[in-house]
Amino acid sequence: MKLASDVVGKWLSATGPEADVVVSTRVRLARNLSDVPFTHRARPSDHERTVEGVRWALSDAGYMTQGQFLDNEQLSEPHGQYLVERHLASPDFVASKAKRGLYVSKDETVSLMVNEEDHLRFQVMASGLDFPEAFTAAAALDEKLETQLQYAFSTEFGFLTACPTNLGTGMRASVLVHLPALVITREIEKVLRGAMHIGLAVRGLYGEGTETKGNFFQISNQKTVGQTEWEIIETIADISRQVIQYERKAREYLMNKLRVEVEDKVFRSFGLLRTARVLSSDEAINLIANLRLGVALGLVNEINLAEVTRLLILVRPANLQVMLGETLTAAERDERRATFVRETLVHP
Amino acid sequence: MKLCDLCAQTEATMKVSQLDKDGKVTEIAVCADCARQRGFTEVEKLKAGVAEIIAELKTRVDEGDSKLVCRNCGMSYAEFKRQGRLGCAECYVSFHDELLPLIRRIHGAVQHVGRTASGGRKQAQVKMNVQKIREALTGAIQAEDYEKAAALRDQLKQAETE
Repeated sequence: MKLASDVVGKWLSATGPEADVVVSTRVRLARNLSDVPFTHRARPSDHERTVEGVRWALSDAGYMTQGQFLDNEQLSEPHGQYLVERHLASPDFVASKAKRGLYVSKDETVSLMVNEEDHLRFQVMASGLDFPEAFTAAAALDEKLETQLQYAFSTEFGFLTACPTNLGTGMRASVLVHLPALVITREIEKVLRGAMHIGLAVRGLYGEGTETKGNFFQISNQKTVGQTEWEIIETIADISRQVIQYERKAREYLMNKLRVEVEDKVFRSFGLLRTARVLSSDEAINLIANLRLGVALGLVNEINLAEVTRLLILVRPANLQVMLGETLTAAERDERRATFVRETLVHP
Repeated sequence: MKLCDLCAQTEATMKVSQLDKDGKVTEIAVCADCARQRGFTEVEKLKAGVAEIIAELKTRVDEGDSKLVCRNCGMSYAEFKRQGRLGCAECYVSFHDELLPLIRRIHGAVQHVGRTASGGRKQAQVKMNVQKIREALTGAIQAEDYEKAAALRDQLKQAETE
């Protein structure tokens, strides 16, 4: 991965199915080695052995030629935060002091953390609503790793994890959806409550405990025991399809009944983004999210869905600094962010 | 008495909300058996959320929990309750009976049904084991050591079922 880069992961390319509403699909699997204590209880020598074992397994499976393996040094700041902002590593993982390893594929669709809460946590992300793509790739990696690693598994409880909440399939499947029209029409709570009612979790953009900035929501399974991977995926895909229909209906309603208000919101945001001299990260994200709605509705044609989605990642603090190749104070960042956004949008 | 909407045989003890394809919520009454079979958990418990169930553990550390220790990693059940994380794979065996109700509460089920570990290396080891015993057995038969051969045959049977 070239760090000084304004290229974002392929999963943000807005080329997948239902990309007007669904930003991305993610499948994450948790696995542990049978003969090593779980990460928080393992000794430093165990941590090292685990990192080396997984690195070897990835290399044997041919993954190293398609990506990079980062060690502790490369996970320190600002790279750690940069990876978190790109959804390639968890905050806990980059903050940890233990010996860790992170594999990231060149197109950033595959990433694998070694010595997170579980020995292995790997994920595949795909653009739009695309579980077949994400799950097939995750399962393929799982099978290849298993030829070299002995997983902790029981026929009763499935894949054994440090926390019983991940037991069984060890799978967390999720979709990242953009639901601005449901928020404007105040239907959002009703729709999301439906998802929660059947045992799914709804979270903000960066997972547990994060706000729902820019009207982006993550819908994922909570239960991991008692259902097969495909049953879990089907439940989330079903709900996602319903949510997509609701969001599109709400967008239609807005265009028919509240067109002036929607246009005002979209073009004010567009105007601010093209003229502002100082932009905080939160303000930028909210304005870009409004612009994304405008692009999805066909109101704005100067920029496409992929470009506007890409901006969402690049305006974040660590990504901005890595892209510019400089360490900046918060005030400097806000200024440089505004400049970057302005230049991107005025001459796209 | 209200009968279960699913089996229509046993008394319903639980109400379950179902979301159909059109997003309509309908409530049905089910009996405990049907609820268990389909993995329904009580709505109240569902609302608690997985994170809360784990957080709640801390408040319920009993005296006996510190005496219950994993035979492999030495972690006590009290430690697990405080940290919310187990020490090693073997903890699931050592604390099996204590974990069962917790797992049921979190997942509404206790039996894994998804992908299984093919046990890549383990399978290879078992195969190697079987191969070794077979060779020893052939040797024992050739040496007419039937006592040893009988013992090896038992070992082989066991190894093959692993």
